[in-house]
Amino acid sequence: MRYGKTLRMAAAVLLASLGTQAMADVNCGMNTGQAATGAPIIVGGIYGDAAPGDWSSSTDSAAAYFRCVNANGGINGRPIDYRVENDQWNPEAAAQAAALLVNDTPTVAMVGNGSFIEMAVNANTYEQAGIMVMASACAISECFETPNIVSTNEGPLPSNLGAAQYAQEELGAQHIACIGLNIPDNGIWSCQAVQDFMRSRGGDSTAVLINPGAPDVNSALLEAMASGADTILINQPAGIALAILSAAEEQDLRDQYNWIAPTPLYDLSIPAAVGEYWWGHLYVNAELAPLQVNGPDAQNWAAVLDQYGSADDPRDTFGQAGYLSARFFVQAMLEMDPAQLDDRAAVSTAIRGISGYTSDLMCGPYYVGDADFHMPNHAGYMLKVVEGGFEIVRNCYEYDSPYFAPHIALETQLGLR
Amino acid sequence: MKGLFHVTPSGWAGFALAAFAVLVLPGISSSYWLSVFTSASCFLLAIAGVAFLYARLGMVSLTQVGLMGVGGWIALRLNYAFDFPFEVNLALAALSTMVFGWVLALPALRMRGLYLALVTLMAAGGLEILFATFQFPNGGDGFWGVKTGSSDPFRRPFLAQSAEDYLRYVIICAVLGFVFIELHRRLQPGRAWALIRRSEASAMAAGVNVTLYKTWAFGITGLLGGAAGALLAGSLGLLDDGTFRASESVMIFALAVVGGARYWQGALVAAILYKVLPALLNIWGVDADLSYVIFGAGLLHAVITAPDGLAGQALQGLRSLLRGKGRRDA
Amino acid sequence: MALARYKNWLLWAVLMAAFIGWFGWGGRPQMVGLFVASGLAVGSLYALGGIGIVVLFRATGVLNFAGGAAGAAGAMTAWQLSEWGIWDPVGWLACLLVALAITLFYGRLIAPRLAWRETVVKAVATLGFALIVLGAVSFLWVDDPRSISLPTDGVGVRILGMRITATRLIVFAASILIVFGIWLFLARTRVGLQMRALANDRDLAALMGIPILRVETIAWGISGLLAGFTGLMFADLIRLEPTVITFMVIPSIAAAICGRLENLTVVLLGGLSMGVIENMLTMSSALRGVRPIAPFVIAALVLLYYQRGQRLTFGGRD
Repeated sequence: MRYGKTLRMAAAVLLASLGTQAMADVNCGMNTGQAATGAPIIVGGIYGDAAPGDWSSSTDSAAAYFRCVNANGGINGRPIDYRVENDQWNPEAAAQAAALLVNDTPTVAMVGNGSFIEMAVNANTYEQAGIMVMASACAISECFETPNIVSTNEGPLPSNLGAAQYAQEELGAQHIACIGLNIPDNGIWSCQAVQDFMRSRGGDSTAVLINPGAPDVNSALLEAMASGADTILINQPAGIALAILSAAEEQDLRDQYNWIAPTPLYDLSIPAAVGEYWWGHLYVNAELAPLQVNGPDAQNWAAVLDQYGSADDPRDTFGQAGYLSARFFVQAMLEMDPAQLDDRAAVSTAIRGISGYTSDLMCGPYYVGDADFHMPNHAGYMLKVVEGGFEIVRNCYEYDSPYFAPHIALETQLGLR
Repeated sequence: MKGLFHVTPSGWAGFALAAFAVLVLPGISSSYWLSVFTSASCFLLAIAGVAFLYARLGMVSLTQVGLMGVGGWIALRLNYAFDFPFEVNLALAALSTMVFGWVLALPALRMRGLYLALVTLMAAGGLEILFATFQFPNGGDGFWGVKTGSSDPFRRPFLAQSAEDYLRYVIICAVLGFVFIELHRRLQPGRAWALIRRSEASAMAAGVNVTLYKTWAFGITGLLGGAAGALLAGSLGLLDDGTFRASESVMIFALAVVGGARYWQGALVAAILYKVLPALLNIWGVDADLSYVIFGAGLLHAVITAPDGLAGQALQGLRSLLRGKGRRDA
Repeated sequence: MALARYKNWLLWAVLMAAFIGWFGWGGRPQMVGLFVASGLAVGSLYALGGIGIVVLFRATGVLNFAGGAAGAAGAMTAWQLSEWGIWDPVGWLACLLVALAITLFYGRLIAPRLAWRETVVKAVATLGFALIVLGAVSFLWVDDPRSISLPTDGVGVRILGMRITATRLIVFAASILIVFGIWLFLARTRVGLQMRALANDRDLAALMGIPILRVETIAWGISGLLAGFTGLMFADLIRLEPTVITFMVIPSIAAAICGRLENLTVVLLGGLSMGVIENMLTMSSALRGVRPIAPFVIAALVLLYYQRGQRLTFGGRD
């Protein structure tokens, strides 16, 4: 169900990295060291946490960063009042959460949203309310192809393309079987892009779709085998992906195919969960910088969570994405005219004006721009599953696909290329 | 015929409550609660259908939420295919779902009790898979009408464009649904159903066409479910297969029993438990997983302790209170 | 009567052969073999779930929706113990015990209070219990990719071109042995006789002085152990996700329906056929997307087939 719940970094790894830096100084907003005391600026966020999966790590990290900003001067002395709601994976609850945060509350923007369904339900609400959503954990097309939502994470489509491109260039893939969820704005959307990409390179791709309600994945694996593919792309949430891998292990298929996957398998519990059989044979695309890159933003995020978050806030990619959305939001707010901070329209304009923000967590620049589509993050890393972790096999690379033509045009127009 | 439009005290109470809900409730509700109450009112209509089937005929339908999905699917499909006003979509969705209910019911009606419940559960399971596979129309091309990207707008009723008016609209539809059921109960079908509930054999001996009236009842349930689904589609502007799981159909039936299937207040209690209580728990910041535990425990407790449902228990209490007071006064 | 029974078996065999032939036609025989073998594995899980439901239903009149949730709680416990580095067999045992404890808790403390309710209400009440268990399990174990593996996953044989692990063979063999064992138990032991009496006529059995509480407790216990075993096998073979394991109960009920909630052999065959048919649908490009619908359609058709020729059922009980 959940596409992008990624990289749940084990707290142990974090502690190890923290050990070397002791209590690192945090870098938040104005960095005054003085608590903000002015009238609060209200910001909303929606996450999904119920039976199929917990997608709250992005709002958790965003909340920690905002607390840190509030303790360091806020936005020109005004604290951020961050209010989050749970959509419970339920479309009605998602609509209610948006009603509460967007219509009943004078929020100026939504930051850190992480959900599988919320964006589909509320995209029109956001547009009508003229509010911008700086989401962090997105899995469906509505997140990337609507005017008022911009997400820090890549989503399944670019991540799939990145994995497919690596397999085509480095592993000699000619025919990729894309095992996706039978959901139009998720699996079908993202597998179609792989097919277009492979055909543009003289290869081919077959989509193998799994019904999300189906418990058994074996028949999908068999279908992928029957398609004549040489590479299998597991475009699935981690739980189903694990099931497919264990079914493949049962059949001892490891050496007959290349095995690639988008970001959901970049999760620190994966190497242990897939087991020794797969070490060195499974390639995973990562949307944000992997742990070992550990640049200033990665360290700051960890330190912020440590000092302003709670111990059980997940340290994962979504957390990083939530932190990044919050950091970019604060940066945009600080650049605004202080008199207009309570004006939703002015804040939306400021967010649309974001261009050329950078972070070591992201390969390219972050921007929003005035467009009906937003996908600032479409470059990433390729990793290999090894014992106890992941090894980088290709550093930051841009995905080459006709899908990104309008994005590249927009970036050129904004002067980012 | 004389008693047909006679309004009982309970009926007056219902109309008074509906009047309050239509006149006052939307004005004092925030956008969040408007959305909660609108959902609750849609499900109220659907629950009224299951409760009616269970109370009047002793038949159990575990596919009501699936039927809502069918109604919602049809309403969305019509909305994007044609330029009909909302009312036409609503009526067509309700009628088509009624026909769908008949088709489902005709072979199933030979079964009784648990087996009927199970065959409807199988239908709900099948519908769940169909919704998950084909999704709900959102303005795309082709028969299934699904596209990626944000959905096209769904036309709300001309009279109810705003969220407040739409809540009023849905409440009025729900009241009409209850009146529709009550009128049926007071006419020929109601008498036939009462007889069938007692004994199918004697109903048959008395010349009642058992199959016809059972099918008819199933059709009414489908009609109400379909209308509820179309109204829900109007509330959200789109539908998601997550709303229409087979387990939700079972849940709706369980809540109808918990509320008290014989009373209109029971359906109301059920709708409140199903939609308003979780919204309240959410506002109070209860963990979503734990609210499942609370919900499940409440359900079990009510099934164990209240044979006539919560509404039955409350009315019983009210009655004995009034009687006690009357005795003292005398 | 005997002839009619054979006719049903024959009809089933012909239909299955026709189905596999129809969908397998044109496909490589190797692939057909793979789909059948894979379907048998899923089918045995459906059947195991169905057997637990039927055993309990016959003896107590309760159709239990909470078996999947009990199995999920057991499987998560087994995973947790293995995480803590405890010897695996202890975890497997704990899985059975947790499922047993949860099921017995319901059977001893809650089910008797519902005895006066009608069958359908008793059934939906167990769904309330399933929600409690599922909610508690999801609360205790936040969502995370997890897996369980058994030592038997490593060994296997090739059948019909597919490598079948020992775990799958165990599940398949267990489903047959359990049916046989329960049949023996019902036919040969005193408690089995009492269970059959209860299934036949509860009131009469009570009047005859059958110790209902004891017999029912045994039935709840058997179904709890079966739920634990099914949960563990499901976690190993399919997925270790509480929600998925919990709602696995709905296709299991479909398998139980095939045996009319009484005949275990038919439940087993029904479950296996459902698994095979579901997998074979993958061969059809038109029906591929909706293949999980197979159990429901089959169960509905079987129910209708059982009712053929009847007009209305008068009197009697459900």
